[in-house]
Amino acid sequence: MIKITREDFSVDEVIKSLKRSEVGGIVTFVGIVRGESQGQPVERLEIEAYEEMALRDLEEIRRRALEKFRIEEAAIIHRIGDLKVSDNIVLITVGAAHREEAFEACKFILEEVKGLAPIWKKEHYCESKGITPKSRWVTSSS
Amino acid sequence: MKVTIKFFAHLKEEVGCDEEELELGRGASVSDLLEILRRTHHVLRGDEKLLVAVNGVRSKLDQRLAEGDVVALLPPVSGG
Repeated sequence: MIKITREDFSVDEVIKSLKRSEVGGIVTFVGIVRGESQGQPVERLEIEAYEEMALRDLEEIRRRALEKFRIEEAAIIHRIGDLKVSDNIVLITVGAAHREEAFEACKFILEEVKGLAPIWKKEHYCESKGITPKSRWVTSSS
Repeated sequence: MKVTIKFFAHLKEEVGCDEEELELGRGASVSDLLEILRRTHHVLRGDEKLLVAVNGVRSKLDQRLAEGDVVALLPPVSGG
């Protein structure tokens, strides 16, 4: 399952969709909005994507993970739009016969998504704190 | 020939729109397009490393453009 969506996702449903007789372990990573960034209080996160291209990239990352690791299935869901603190951002779920491959593949997919997919995050800071600027596009190095 | 340029993230905000159309001479490359855009958009004159995608595929600077191409300027990504 590959998806870019404005809606929240159900971790349970995605895990359920990966269950099959060959799978002995499912590793899940959920990235959520942190309420702090570089010492500044974050109020919300705005996420933008070049959707057609990002979807193709996520498909390709999943395909490479299935080729590189001994895993049975992988799902990647990335949200876009306005998100509040603690909202889900990204879900990566990998099912494999054994745990080592599932953990490794999950980390591989996450790093590839972060470094490749045309998706951008903008942090909006709590206004009451008198912070300037009020928002900032996140760069991969920050 | 006419091409469409797509802007994202901070580029979109600083240019003031998410896309624009541009008329280019036949045989123009991605590099030629960037040179023209830099004349009109100050934000593109900086040293930020931009990737360029033509019709959704990452492209090199010397790629020739064709009528109707969609050229996306991609700032450094920060998903995940």
